[in-house]
Amino acid sequence: MSITLDQVTKHYAGAPVVNDVSLDIGDGEFFVLLGPSGSGKSTLLRAIAGLSGVDHGRIALHGRDVTHVAARKRGVGLVFQNYALFRHMTVAENIEFALRVRHMRAQARRQRRQELLRLVALEGLDQRLPAQLSGGQQQRVAVARALAHKPEVLLLDEPFGALDAKIREELRRTIRQVQRELGITTVLVTHDQEEAFAMADRIGVMNLGRLLEMGAPHDLYSRPATRFVATFLGAANLILARCTPDGVQMGANTVAAAERPPGVEEREVVAVVRPEEVEVAASRDALSSAYLARGVVNEVVFTGALESLRVRLEDGAQAPLLAQANGDAGASLLVTRTRHEQRGFEIHPGQSVAIGVRRVHVLPTPLSSFTACAASAALADALSRQPLLAELAERMKTRIAMRAEPQLGVPDAACAADSPFVGTTAIASQTDCAQRAEWLLRRGAKDLLVLPEQAAVPQRVLIHWMGEAARSATLAASASALRHLSAEAVYVGIFPEQSASAHPQHGMRELLDARSEAQLAHGLEMRTELRFGDVAQQLARRLAEAPAQMLIVGVAELTRFAERFRGLLDGGQWPVLIVYRGSP
Amino acid sequence: MAAALPAALAGDATRPGQHTRLHSLVRWLFIAVSLTFLAAVLLAPLVTVFVTALERGLQAYLHSFANPDTAAAVRLTLTTALVVVPINTMFGLAAAWAIAKFEFRGKSILITLIDLPLAISPVISGMIFVLLFGLHGWFGVWLREHDLSIIFALPGIMLATMFVTFPYVARELIPLMQQLGNDEEEAAITLGAGGWMTFFRVTLPKIRWGLLYGVVLCNARAMGEFGAVSVVSGHIRGLTNTMPLHIEILYNEYNFVGAFAVASLLTLLAALTLVVKTLVERTGYRRR
Repeated sequence: MSITLDQVTKHYAGAPVVNDVSLDIGDGEFFVLLGPSGSGKSTLLRAIAGLSGVDHGRIALHGRDVTHVAARKRGVGLVFQNYALFRHMTVAENIEFALRVRHMRAQARRQRRQELLRLVALEGLDQRLPAQLSGGQQQRVAVARALAHKPEVLLLDEPFGALDAKIREELRRTIRQVQRELGITTVLVTHDQEEAFAMADRIGVMNLGRLLEMGAPHDLYSRPATRFVATFLGAANLILARCTPDGVQMGANTVAAAERPPGVEEREVVAVVRPEEVEVAASRDALSSAYLARGVVNEVVFTGALESLRVRLEDGAQAPLLAQANGDAGASLLVTRTRHEQRGFEIHPGQSVAIGVRRVHVLPTPLSSFTACAASAALADALSRQPLLAELAERMKTRIAMRAEPQLGVPDAACAADSPFVGTTAIASQTDCAQRAEWLLRRGAKDLLVLPEQAAVPQRVLIHWMGEAARSATLAASASALRHLSAEAVYVGIFPEQSASAHPQHGMRELLDARSEAQLAHGLEMRTELRFGDVAQQLARRLAEAPAQMLIVGVAELTRFAERFRGLLDGGQWPVLIVYRGSP
Repeated sequence: MAAALPAALAGDATRPGQHTRLHSLVRWLFIAVSLTFLAAVLLAPLVTVFVTALERGLQAYLHSFANPDTAAAVRLTLTTALVVVPINTMFGLAAAWAIAKFEFRGKSILITLIDLPLAISPVISGMIFVLLFGLHGWFGVWLREHDLSIIFALPGIMLATMFVTFPYVARELIPLMQQLGNDEEEAAITLGAGGWMTFFRVTLPKIRWGLLYGVVLCNARAMGEFGAVSVVSGHIRGLTNTMPLHIEILYNEYNFVGAFAVASLLTLLAALTLVVKTLVERTGYRRR
C-alpha cells in the first residue's frame, strides 16, 4: 500500500474536522477525495503532506509510519489550488528548487528540468517568471515542480479550481497522462463530481469530516450506500418505498430492484432512481419500463445534449412518496432525456404523462423516514418541529410524517391508526417516557427516537446494545445516523461489577470485536470505552458527563423495559435512539 | 437593445467621466490649492535652508563642516542609525512574522504596542528612559554603582531612537505578509526545504520590497529624530549631540550659516532616503 490512513482524526476548536478516517491507497492508484467544502478533505490531504498534524490515528507512506515525520522529510509532491509558485523565481528555478535543496549538480538539474517541462508540455518557457504565464501554464509548472524530486506520492489540492472550463479539461488530461506515465500514486481533492469521475481509479466521498463511501466511479454511481453519496454524485430521486419479496413497492406499484437488498423482512426503504432511469410516455401502455405513476410536467429545460424535466406526481393514496418532499407541493421527480428520447416523444410544460422507471437501487440505510408520534395531532405537529428532528430530516433529505395516538402509553390500549409503524418513530422526552416507549415497541415500532425539548445536534454519539440479537441492527442504525452528524462515535461496553476482577480480558475482547464489526460491516469507525455496573445507570451517568451527547441503544427483549429504562428516558436531557430487534 | 433605449439617455451629460466645464474647473482648483499649499509650507522652508546656508558663499559653507563638534554630530547620527536600523529591522521582521503567520493570545495587544510609539509624543518617549535609567530613576543607583551611563550618553540616544522608530518596519510588513499568505512557504517545505532555507530563499525575496521600504522610513526617522533624543542626550557638544540637536545649538548661538549648513546636510540625507524610497517603489511595483 502506498498510503495508509488509520483512524485519522483532527479536531478544530473542539469539533472534529476529520473524523476517524481509515483508508488504503494502492501503488500507482489515482484516488480522488470528493466532498463539499468544509467536509475535511483538504485537511486530510494536508495531514498526509504533513502540513497539519493529526490529533489521533496513524499515517503511513509505503509502509513507513510518517505520523510524526516533518513535512519536508515525507517526500511527497503537493500542488496547491492557487499554484503557490515562487513568484520571484523563474520557471526553471521553481522546478529546480527541490533539486537544489538536495544539492544536485547543475548539469543533472538542468536535465531533470528539461524532462519535466517536456512532461507537462511547457518546453522553452524556462526563463519566464510565473507572472508572465497563464493560469493553466502556472499550474503545469506547479505540477512539474512537485514531481521534480521524484516523490512517491503526488497530492493535488483542488488544482483546477481557479481555471476556466476549457483549460481545466486540457490540464486534467495532462495530469492523468503524466500520472499514468510515471505510475505515481496520486490523491486529488475536489468538490467537482464530474472531475472525480473523469480522473479517478477510485473515489472516496467525504462529508462532515467522515469518509462515507469509496469505490470505483461506476460502482459508487450505480450502487451508492448512503443518501449523501446518492445525491452528491449526480442527481437522484429519493423515494420512500417498501421492500417486499416481489421487489420495491413505490406507492401502489412494485418494481424489481437492481439488486436485492439484504434482509428478508418487509420494511420501509429509501429507493434511488436516477433521472436518466426515469421514462416518460403518453400512456402507461407506451412505456417500455415498469409503470410508476402519472404526473404533470412542471418544467422543461434544454441543456444541450440532455433535456431535463421536473414532473409533479399526481396526488392520491397510490402515488409514491418522494423522500425530499416534506409535505410541500413543490417536490417533483427529476427526469433527464437524451435527444433521441426527445424526438420520440415531445413534451411541453403542463402535459400529463405516464412515468416509468428502468432501474431502482435500494439504499441499505435503515433510517428511512421519521414519524412524529404524540397523544394528539397538535402535539405531534409541535414535535415534528423539534430542532434536532427537523435538522436530521433535512440532512437525511427525508420527510417527517405525523401520527396521533390518543391512547399512547395506556396499558392494553390498541393503536388508534391501524397502519403499521414505518421508519423511525419519534416521541418527546417526558415523565412517563419509558412507558410510552415500551407501548410503542410492543405495538410494532422498531426504531424509536426519544427527543428532549431542547436537544442540540450531538457532538458525540454513545452506542450500546443489550442482547446480541440487536447488535447488527444497532450498528447499522448508528452508522446511518452518524453519516449525517459531525460527531464522534463511542461504543460503551458495560459489564457487571463482579466481572471487572474475574474476566478483564473478556471485556476487552468484546470491545474489539464490536469495533471491527462496525468497521467491516458498516464502515463505521468508533472509539471504545469500558465500564462496569448496571447498564442503564452507567449509560445515564456517562450521558450526564458532557453536553451535546446522544445515545443509540439496541434492545433485544422488552421484559421490564419501562422499569429498566426509566432513569435513562424519563425527562432525560439527551436524545436516545432505541433500536429494537427481538430474538427470532 | 440599443435602439430600444430612450433617446434622452444617449445625450445625458451628467454621466461620470464626462468632461464638462464645471468638472475641469474643479479639477484645476484642487491642483492649484495643493500646489500652493506645498510651495508655502514645504518648498519655501527647504529653499530657505539652502539659501541661508550658502549666504556667505561656498567657502564658509564647507568651512562649517570642519568644526570638530559638527563632525562629531554627523558621526553620532550615522552611528546611531547604523545600530538602530538593523535592530529594528530584525524586530520588525520577527513581529510581522508572528502576527501574520500565527494565531496566539495577546496578538491584538502586540499590534497595539507596536503602534504605541507613533501615538505618544517623542518627548514623552525620551522621558520614559530618563525615568528608567536616569540618576533618580528605577535603575539609576544600580547603574551608577556599576559605573554604567545610559542617559546623557550614546546608549540612551540609541534606546530613545530605537523606541521611536520601531513601528516602521513591522507596520510595513504585517499587511504585506498577511496578504501574501503561507502557500509558498508550505510549498517550499513539502519540496524539502528547511526553516532557514525557506526564510532566505522564499519568504525574504517575497517581502524584500516591503522590507526595504520599511527600512528606508525607519532610517529617515532615526536620523531626523529630535524630541526623544533631546531629552536623553544632555546636549554635550562633540559627545552626545546628534545632527538635529547640533543644529538647534548653532542656531541659538546665532551661527546661522553653521546651523543651516548642517540642516542642509540632514535635508540632503533625507532627500537621498526619499530617492531610494521612490526607486524601491518603482522597482517593486514593476516586479510585482
